[in-house]
Amino acid sequence: MNYRIIPGVILIWITMAGPPVYAQDAKEVVDAAVRYYRGQSSVCVMDMTIRRPHWQRTLTIKAWTKGQKESIFFIVAPPKDEGNGTLKKGKEMWTYNPKLSQVMKLPPSMMSQGWMGSDFSNDDLAKSDSIIDEYDHTLEGKEVHEGKRVYRIKSLPKPGAAVVWGMQRLKIREDHILLSQEFFDEEMKLVKALTSTQIQPMGGRLFPKNWDMKRAQEEGEHTVVDYREIRFDIDLPDRLFTVPALKTTWK
Amino acid sequence: MCAITFATTLLIFMLSFQFGNYQTIIRAMVKLRTGHLQVQAERYLEKRDIRMVVPDPAKISRLLDGMSGVTAYTYRANNFSLVSSKERTYGVLVTGIDPREAQVSSLPRIVRKGQYLSPGDGNQALIGSILAKNLQVDTGDELALLGQGRDGSIAATIVKVKGIISSGQDDFDRLSVYIPLPFFQDTYSMAGAVHAMVVNVDSLSHVPRIKEALNAVIRSLPGEGGLRVLDWNELLPGLMQAIKIDLYSGFIFYLILVVVTAFSILNTFLMAIFERKREFGVMMALGGTPGRLTRLLLLESIFMTGLGSLLGILLGSLVTWYFQSYGLHIPGLDEIARYYGMPERVFPDLSIFSVAIGGGLVLVISFLTALFPTLRIRRLRPVPAMAGR
Repeated sequence: MNYRIIPGVILIWITMAGPPVYAQDAKEVVDAAVRYYRGQSSVCVMDMTIRRPHWQRTLTIKAWTKGQKESIFFIVAPPKDEGNGTLKKGKEMWTYNPKLSQVMKLPPSMMSQGWMGSDFSNDDLAKSDSIIDEYDHTLEGKEVHEGKRVYRIKSLPKPGAAVVWGMQRLKIREDHILLSQEFFDEEMKLVKALTSTQIQPMGGRLFPKNWDMKRAQEEGEHTVVDYREIRFDIDLPDRLFTVPALKTTWK
Repeated sequence: MCAITFATTLLIFMLSFQFGNYQTIIRAMVKLRTGHLQVQAERYLEKRDIRMVVPDPAKISRLLDGMSGVTAYTYRANNFSLVSSKERTYGVLVTGIDPREAQVSSLPRIVRKGQYLSPGDGNQALIGSILAKNLQVDTGDELALLGQGRDGSIAATIVKVKGIISSGQDDFDRLSVYIPLPFFQDTYSMAGAVHAMVVNVDSLSHVPRIKEALNAVIRSLPGEGGLRVLDWNELLPGLMQAIKIDLYSGFIFYLILVVVTAFSILNTFLMAIFERKREFGVMMALGGTPGRLTRLLLLESIFMTGLGSLLGILLGSLVTWYFQSYGLHIPGLDEIARYYGMPERVFPDLSIFSVAIGGGLVLVISFLTALFPTLRIRRLRPVPAMAGR
């Protein structure tokens, strides 16, 4: 019996068995968080304020989401932009303008662009589930927030995944609340960071009322989303998430 | 001598050709895209934010009117938008142009179908040829534009395709939509502002001087602190880099050419001296000192390299001058030329610089090479030399 093999076997056993267990944990935490903030379905009204050094603008948005893939949202105010709608189904996205009364399908290249000039990309706003499908997660550490355990998770894109980020870092509390999400480019430089605050009961569960997306490299540039109201797990008809609905829902 | 003449001719022509090419590329890019100088809001170049504007273009144009060396200027406003035909949607750069655009850029000359915008036009647009193909539209068809206005509101409008433009530069032809400036300002809530004042001056070499002068007066304007002047080099950062890389690779080729010439000269002179060994022996036996013989040979080599270079310079300049007047058509180069939006004929640029470098380099190298065999004369002894040993 060659005993020198044993350390090698142990090493292989550790590398094969160790991380997957961790990754499984991390993936479950992320899955649960996404399920938690999207619910089976949700309806919400939110104020989005885009802040720039000498300028700011507030939009009011009403949004519906269903399952992991479907969402539709409309601008409620200001009146000049009222009725502009966006529909997202999986990786596809359409936008509707009432002045043109025309629906445009967004080219895939536009998905990572800021929505309405905000720091939220089209992907972010649709609360994309790509974080589950396109990334591998590892647990980096744990900390404590308001007496609750918080998981620090590093998410790297799966090989060949068509995503814009080189890495994401998530902080998820043990009650599934997403506390922060940092977006890094391919050079692992921080591009923007989302933090959620004012965690309070909303729509029958604890939910952060305030979400702040900050540009890392630009002083004073950020976008704040403030939820006025949100309700979860309501029965929403499938026809709400269709292109014709974009034209007719807001009338 | 033939080798020297040939090398000089080739070098002068190649250098002129290369420099001529660069001039053409720069002129074409400057003409179509940037102009010589632009006045923009600070950081607009990097951020392309619609809110970073030149708020009062009339004020700047009053300054430009009074400046010497400024030949023409125009206003432009830009914004990224979605453009959509019935079926398809693409992201494009929409540019609002003033009737003065025609004096500054080559835009009116690259309209391939339909017409250029005229001063009274409203919702008319010029679009790039590749974009037209992608959208599957033709002149007279309608397009929807959707973007964001200066005030952050959603800007949407319908335009009619009036003309289709093609520059040969793929990204330009894929992304460009031009609409009249007043219509742009109205659509995107610009409140009279523009994004760039595009300025042309009388000569490329005057650009730095006029840039400085313009910068100075703009800085002295009260309340216009956020503006800056950029030259074509800053506006097209990749261009100079590409030229430099090309220049370096060119120089390697010239170096090889010069080395080959030098070896052929070395060979010729060695042979000449070898063949004339008996002659030198006789001269020495008759009382010619090695120093005298060396001087004689040096004179010969100066004469030969000098004559060769002179002939080469003459021939090179003539050939270059011919092509400078009539242009050179290189079949394989068309595609590259079109990519850069250059004319398909290439015009070399004969300058003192290319003549001096081309002629001088060959002259110096060939003279130095000729020197080496000449110095071997000193080792000759009359009797063995006469015997051919």
